[in-house]
Amino acid sequence: MAEGQEEPKKITITVKTPKEKQQVEIEEDADIKKLKDVLSPKFNAEPEQLCLIFAGKIMNDSDTLKQHNIKDGLTIHLVIKTPPRPEPEGGTRRPPADISATPFGLNSLGGLAGLESLGLGQSTFMDLQARMQQELLSNPDMLRQVLDNPLVQQMMNDPENMRSLITSNPQMQDLMARNPEISHMLNNPELLRQTMELARNPAMLQELMRSHDRALSNLESIPGGYNALQRMYRDIQEPMLNVASSMAGNPFSGLVDNSDGTNPQQGAENRQPLPNPWQRGGGGGGTGTGTGTGGTGPGLINTPGMQSLLQQMSENPRLVQSMLSAPYTNNMLQALAADPDMASQLINQNPMFANNPQLQEQIRTMMPQMLAQLQNPEMQQMMSNPQALNALLQIQQGIEQLRTAAPSLVNNLGLGVAAAGAQPAATPAAGTPAAPANSATPAAPNNAPPRQQQNTELFTQFMQRMMSAMSNNQNNSNQPPEQRYSQQLEQLAAMGFLNREANLQALIATFGDINAAVERLLALGQLSMS
Amino acid sequence: MSEPQSSLLLKKQLAELNKNPVEGFSAGLIDDNDIYRWEVLIIGPPDTLYEGGFFKAHLHFPKEYPLRPPRMKFVTEIWHPNIEKNGDVCISILHEPGDDKWGYEKASERWLPVHTVETILISVISMLADPNDESPANVDAAKEWRERYSDFKKKVARCVRKSQEDCF
Repeated sequence: MAEGQEEPKKITITVKTPKEKQQVEIEEDADIKKLKDVLSPKFNAEPEQLCLIFAGKIMNDSDTLKQHNIKDGLTIHLVIKTPPRPEPEGGTRRPPADISATPFGLNSLGGLAGLESLGLGQSTFMDLQARMQQELLSNPDMLRQVLDNPLVQQMMNDPENMRSLITSNPQMQDLMARNPEISHMLNNPELLRQTMELARNPAMLQELMRSHDRALSNLESIPGGYNALQRMYRDIQEPMLNVASSMAGNPFSGLVDNSDGTNPQQGAENRQPLPNPWQRGGGGGGTGTGTGTGGTGPGLINTPGMQSLLQQMSENPRLVQSMLSAPYTNNMLQALAADPDMASQLINQNPMFANNPQLQEQIRTMMPQMLAQLQNPEMQQMMSNPQALNALLQIQQGIEQLRTAAPSLVNNLGLGVAAAGAQPAATPAAGTPAAPANSATPAAPNNAPPRQQQNTELFTQFMQRMMSAMSNNQNNSNQPPEQRYSQQLEQLAAMGFLNREANLQALIATFGDINAAVERLLALGQLSMS
Repeated sequence: MSEPQSSLLLKKQLAELNKNPVEGFSAGLIDDNDIYRWEVLIIGPPDTLYEGGFFKAHLHFPKEYPLRPPRMKFVTEIWHPNIEKNGDVCISILHEPGDDKWGYEKASERWLPVHTVETILISVISMLADPNDESPANVDAAKEWRERYSDFKKKVARCVRKSQEDCF
């Protein structure tokens, strides 16, 4: 990257215009003229049109980078002037509607962003999330399945929950900062629900697009309506429809990859050495995507995106640790442990095990033991040890190889590993219950429909129970939130957040985590200021 | 405890703004040795009369920051209802905390310790786009804005042109 140690040292700086961002490499003692010469082809403009700004100063051609103290990794502003006035930078007056910045976080499903409020907002996690989003987006059918999942629907029907999901999405925050109206829209649960409905239902989308024109012309006749409309269209409608229609476009495009029924799924449990992080998200937002990833397991788990995700998890012990130390994980495990029946049923229903009664039986007898082990601090410590995780990863890879080499051996062997190590088996319990829930998983076509129905219900029930258990736990002795969070409320007030109502909302949404609450308040606060 | 909290806070903000600048403005120090005096360059917000202009302003932070607000003053000439003719910015979030003795503003609209250079400038930029003529600092500009908008536009356009000449 930077610092080729030849003669003049090179530095990398980021140049940012209102609409794009580029990195350039340049000698650290270069002058601004030279920088402009480098930039001009990159931004398609004459060097004379460029205006570079750093640290509150416009930089002259004769200045040097050193003079302005521009070092490696810093960012400078660039404004491109159009020589014969007016209209500086014609098209860039407003950042173009960007699909990735979809309002309503459709492409992210709002989903994992919610984890941020659970304290997982580390950059690596955001990266992880981005990968998952991509995975989902490239497979519209799967996306719809996820949306169809009763659990996800239930979540979406909870407006408060939805809103916190959406507002915790950084792209969305950005959008809201620019358009305060959107935040008002978010207060309208009906609208949210409709939007989600829209994403699920291509027919409805088409209908909507058809009536769109009429509605627009009606609105135009309202005084001032036209302007508002124009803005709204640019900022909201366009990206939304873009996404929605691209989803509706070819629902089967993703199916090809997934429909491989012979996919050697048996070993999939071994690929997740950790307690399923998404499961816990059920309390907050994660489940949206979580169910999706678990649910479409056969296809998704084998995709490169998913694999790299797992790898990333094993490379980042801190992340894992923070997941493990979170109260939700424990709750979940306890829920499973306290209800072995449930757990074994889940296992029973899992198509992975359904074909293998022997395996099933063994897992069932191991269940309590395994769960106990999972709650064992030593075990948790092991999980956060990168070396141990690496070793696990290697074991998995070995098994994978073995499977391709000697498929018949795998059943027995896979069992052996599970029995001996007990740790990869964590995932069948914690992770894969999601699989049966998603009834239409393309890769499990041999499951009879009634059974799937049952599965779905079962899983929903289980999740509900878990969620309520979690919220009970949070509630301590069912105190009203004011009392429960009185200490945090005081703290927030001392910090200068004066709107007690908003503070309380933020605390409730963040389960009393004061840092997350402050972040949330700040994100919303910026709106009220503008 | 050699360094007061205010200076630490400001340094942190400066470093962050240098690394990840925010849309619409650029911020630095007037004198590299004085963390309390900042210089910012506001890029005239698109789709407003001020589009295309480069407006320089100074921020003076008190030692008590963030408990007390900084003062902000435009160095570049600018014609706006909420900016005094001498450049002082009149915006509620920069008013000393507590309740307004005239009852105009709520405490929550005034200075809060959570404000940063970034939030202040975002407010100022949005003020450029959308003047508040209820409590004008430049009464003439406010009157013109309300009654003779084309004159107001002309004056602003002149400021924009002048700001460009000053810069290049």
